[in-house]
Amino acid sequence: MIRPEEIKLSSEENGKWGMVIDQDICTGCQACVAACAMENNISFVGEEDSGYGRAMHWIRIERFWEGEYPEVKMTPRQPMLCQQCGHATCEPVCPAFATVHSQAEQLNLQVYNRCVGTRYCANNCPYQVRAFNWRDYQRPEPLSNQLNPDVTVRRMGVMEKCTFCIQRIHKAQDQAKAEGREVQDGEFTTACAQACPASAIVFGRVDNPESLVSQLAHKGHGVKHLEELGTLPNVTYFKGG
Amino acid sequence: MSDNKTHADHGAHSAEHFREKHLMLDPLPRGQMNDMVMESMLEKPTWKFWIIFAFLSVVVAYFLFYKWGVLIAKGQGEAGVMRPDYWGIFLVNTVFWIGISHAGTFISAILRVFKAEFRRPFTRAAELMTTFGLVQAGFSIFMHLGRVWLFYWLMPYPNQRMLWPNLHSPLTWDLLAITTYLLSSTMYLFLPLIPDMAMARDRSTGWRKNFYRILALGFRGTEGEWTHLRNAMNIFAFAIIPVMFSVHTIVSWDFAAATRPGWSSTIFGPYFIVGALHSGMGAAAIVLAVIQGTMKHMKYFVRGEHFDAIGKLMLIISMAWAYFFFNDYMVQWYGGDKWTQQMLHFHEAGPLGWMWFAMLICNIAIPWAILWNARWRATPWLIATVGIAINIGMWFERYIIIPISVTINRMPFTWRLYQPGIEVPMGIGTVALFILLYMAASKLIPLIPVWEVQEGQMAHELKKFGRETVVSVSELE
Amino acid sequence: MTESKVVDLLAVFPDLEPAANAIEHLRALGVHDECMNVISGIPVTEAMLGRPHQWTNVPRIAMGGALLGFGGGFFLAFISPYLYPYPVQVSTQAFIPGPPTVVVLFELTMLGMLISTFVGVFLDSFFPNYRPMKYVPEISDGKIAILVECPNADERKLRMP
Repeated sequence: MIRPEEIKLSSEENGKWGMVIDQDICTGCQACVAACAMENNISFVGEEDSGYGRAMHWIRIERFWEGEYPEVKMTPRQPMLCQQCGHATCEPVCPAFATVHSQAEQLNLQVYNRCVGTRYCANNCPYQVRAFNWRDYQRPEPLSNQLNPDVTVRRMGVMEKCTFCIQRIHKAQDQAKAEGREVQDGEFTTACAQACPASAIVFGRVDNPESLVSQLAHKGHGVKHLEELGTLPNVTYFKGG
Repeated sequence: MSDNKTHADHGAHSAEHFREKHLMLDPLPRGQMNDMVMESMLEKPTWKFWIIFAFLSVVVAYFLFYKWGVLIAKGQGEAGVMRPDYWGIFLVNTVFWIGISHAGTFISAILRVFKAEFRRPFTRAAELMTTFGLVQAGFSIFMHLGRVWLFYWLMPYPNQRMLWPNLHSPLTWDLLAITTYLLSSTMYLFLPLIPDMAMARDRSTGWRKNFYRILALGFRGTEGEWTHLRNAMNIFAFAIIPVMFSVHTIVSWDFAAATRPGWSSTIFGPYFIVGALHSGMGAAAIVLAVIQGTMKHMKYFVRGEHFDAIGKLMLIISMAWAYFFFNDYMVQWYGGDKWTQQMLHFHEAGPLGWMWFAMLICNIAIPWAILWNARWRATPWLIATVGIAINIGMWFERYIIIPISVTINRMPFTWRLYQPGIEVPMGIGTVALFILLYMAASKLIPLIPVWEVQEGQMAHELKKFGRETVVSVSELE
Repeated sequence: MTESKVVDLLAVFPDLEPAANAIEHLRALGVHDECMNVISGIPVTEAMLGRPHQWTNVPRIAMGGALLGFGGGFFLAFISPYLYPYPVQVSTQAFIPGPPTVVVLFELTMLGMLISTFVGVFLDSFFPNYRPMKYVPEISDGKIAILVECPNADERKLRMP
């Protein structure tokens, strides 16, 4: 039983964990996509379903171009993942409390085993970064041996999305707790940031003004996507710097 | 002088004329009406009936239940939903069937409250539409769930996890509202049915006698029973109206509460209610035309005046729908939000632009072109055709609001057109199940509330004002 | 029949007028209104037959149900969020969101009210009741029957009208 006075709402502008993505140095190599899929046991949906918009990547590299052929100009690639909004539109619409706000980590949690598959959260996500398990996808033989034991394997009919590699966060926290200290910035990073050869993705604690990620985030020309919706995203993008 | 004569002549004819036109002025002894209703119900089904019945049963068994099994076994991937169209035809059908269900309440509650006398013979036919339509809506929304076997997690009940449904979610409100509406409309269907069940009990034999005896609950018609029944029906008639409004408003909030361009609209509540009544009245016209055309003695109970009255309602509701549609469109267009602009352009000029124009033709042009004429309104096949057009138009409207609108979102990288899969046969399955339930009901329960018709006939009379004869109604209640 | 002192009579009339006359006659013979009951195929109001007002509990039961429903809604809207083992936060919305509580209270109040109205009819009319009762099928043909259940009355005298 919770007493009302214990309940504190977190609506601070700044979250705890954050990310900065520099689109200008992103090469579009898709290493983050592959690393994320391996780290988080993401299903391989196959060519046909992938072609029909059912690819289940938690991070995707969006490509755009300007102008008409032959005067085509590529614009910087845009890695898109869950923005871990402080004011998330996906959370209140779930009838089963399958997607809730973590007060400890300031992240949007997805509770796989609570999800009944109404898909309202995905519909209400302005960033379109939620992935639904449309089928029970098979893992061809050697792939089933590389599953990450720290991450739940999701089954058919369940929504999923980027967690900021919450299993790594917890591992680092456990380690720090055992050593009697706080988690340091840079102690660990997410799979996508780790895999990025150009270091276009930087992850860390945005609540620490000394951290690399908060210094980058305040560099001036950083933008948050769809900021006008008031979702308070925790991912900052650099473009045309 | 000659003028007077024609008036007198007219007067002599008019009593006969009124009798022919108005059921309420054409009374038959109650026993005879009972016999007619019983005969229409007990009439041995023709081979055509059985063929349609068998065909629909096969359609329901294969398209609804077998395909649903496939869907559950293989997952929502069998349907056409994907990113960004997470909601497809299942949701379209849910909204559509809830819309159909609104006509029953409109006819039997709103018209009862306002004592619109033309409602009397077809309140039950309309209430059956409500109940059976809601059954289809329930099926459609459960088909849509990714893990339908866990649907009970949405219900409020004490459990070991101490988790209650999320009351922030419009879907939870939806569940509460639709449950309330389904239960109350079923009870509201049953209450006025009790005296007719007693009537059927008194005049049937064999297993039917038992069937009606059980459903009549021992009703005799004592003063007390009638008083309790009438009081309850009165409470229901008033209370179910706000419930009906709340249901479709909450359905509209599933969309309006979201942040999507094209969905986030404050006028969706009334717009959806009017749309629901639009398709519901259209469906009522179809059902009445079918009942009148196929069942014995129904030409006595359902007449031109009833189609005429429904036609007028359809016309008014069509105008109201046009008003709300334009209101919604105008404000979205004027707002100038780039995503909304894109979406409106996609509605009209996208690959499914034909649907947008077909919607306007079916919902506005066809009703307005036909329903202004009193004689056309009174023609059953014509008004049923308008009803079909309106229902097609309203289905298109929901299709445009759901899968077509969500194609355009704020992440252009994900834009993709929805291609329906298993939803199409399953949707046809719900239509077949609706017709099947209705066919079975027409053979099992008296479709005409005879006691209400008799009550109306007692209250009506012709009255002369000077040289003119007019219909007059006494308030018996 | 002679042993039991209760006279149990069912008289069938074709129309309102003779039925109303018969009721007046019975009253003149000393039969109390409580001993009479009218059975009809359509709702006949008390005033038409000059009968005393019928008491019904349905509106009261409905109100009771509405209160119960409101209580259920109140529990869901205001108490259930405090029953979770840990605070569940969605977005930055309050634990007890304002406007949605109105929706929940409304729906459950209406549900409680309508179910209890329905149940009220059953309770007040003693439904379902499958015991054999004084009844003739002609009643559902629109005839009006007067049922006299009168202790200590002279049956022969009553048969006169």
